[in-house]
Amino acid sequence: MRRLYDQHGPALVAYASTFVTDGAAAEDVVHQVFLRLLSEEVAMPDVPVAYVYRAVRNAALNARRSGWRNAPLDPENCVFEHRGGDREAALGLQKALSDLPEEQREAVVMRMWSGLTLEEVAALSGVSLNTAASRYRYALEKLREKLQPYRRR
Amino acid sequence: MASQDEEFEKYLSEFEPQRPRALPKAVGLRTVWPQRLAAAAAITIALGTSLWMLRSENLEDKNRIAAEAKAMPDSTTTRQRASLVALTQMALHDPVELDAELAEASRSMLPDFRRSDSTLRVLAKE
Repeated sequence: MRRLYDQHGPALVAYASTFVTDGAAAEDVVHQVFLRLLSEEVAMPDVPVAYVYRAVRNAALNARRSGWRNAPLDPENCVFEHRGGDREAALGLQKALSDLPEEQREAVVMRMWSGLTLEEVAALSGVSLNTAASRYRYALEKLREKLQPYRRR
Repeated sequence: MASQDEEFEKYLSEFEPQRPRALPKAVGLRTVWPQRLAAAAAITIALGTSLWMLRSENLEDKNRIAAEAKAMPDSTTTRQRASLVALTQMALHDPVELDAELAEASRSMLPDFRRSDSTLRVLAKE
């Protein structure tokens, strides 16, 4: 469980932050999901990665619906850090991810920050490899377009 | 297109999502629950055993008292013999015999408290 948390925790926080905007709230959502798993409130799923992505999505949507820490997206709430220290680009990425359709967002987060292969993304999302690859490619295209201004600097 | 994607992927990899805070240690609940369950079971068994022992002791005492009560002579016949009329006649004609009769009746009607396992002693202990 802790290995799952270490490996996918950051990606899940990034994923949650595309629903709830507030970094702390995103972290809380991920915590809540893992605490439930640890406390045996739910049975250990067969495919834990797929489960935690679904659970984080649902918990984040619930949090958003209840207005839980629905803070505006600002540099303080950003969950991404740019290695070169470009905070605006990090914020831009989070915003661009939030604007993506849900399935594309999931594909790119799983591939880029959970380090999964496209085959794994397809299996976890329950779609064919082609569908997963298309979602990922569309996502990259949109992100590239939106992050263009930051890359030129 | 593929090279563009690769280049952009490289750019995206410059961004790292924040590492969430560590899970609290107290959350090892999957291991804590069985311990709690075992402790609860042990307490229940201990309580159950104590109650059972107390109950069986009480039953033994009750059985002994019942057995002693059975062993006591039937006082109804004595009571019949010592009817008021007969006693009155006896008192008029032979007071000495009356005294003897009353002494005999008291010995057979009242429980014998001198024996170590007499009913009175058992009741006094309880």
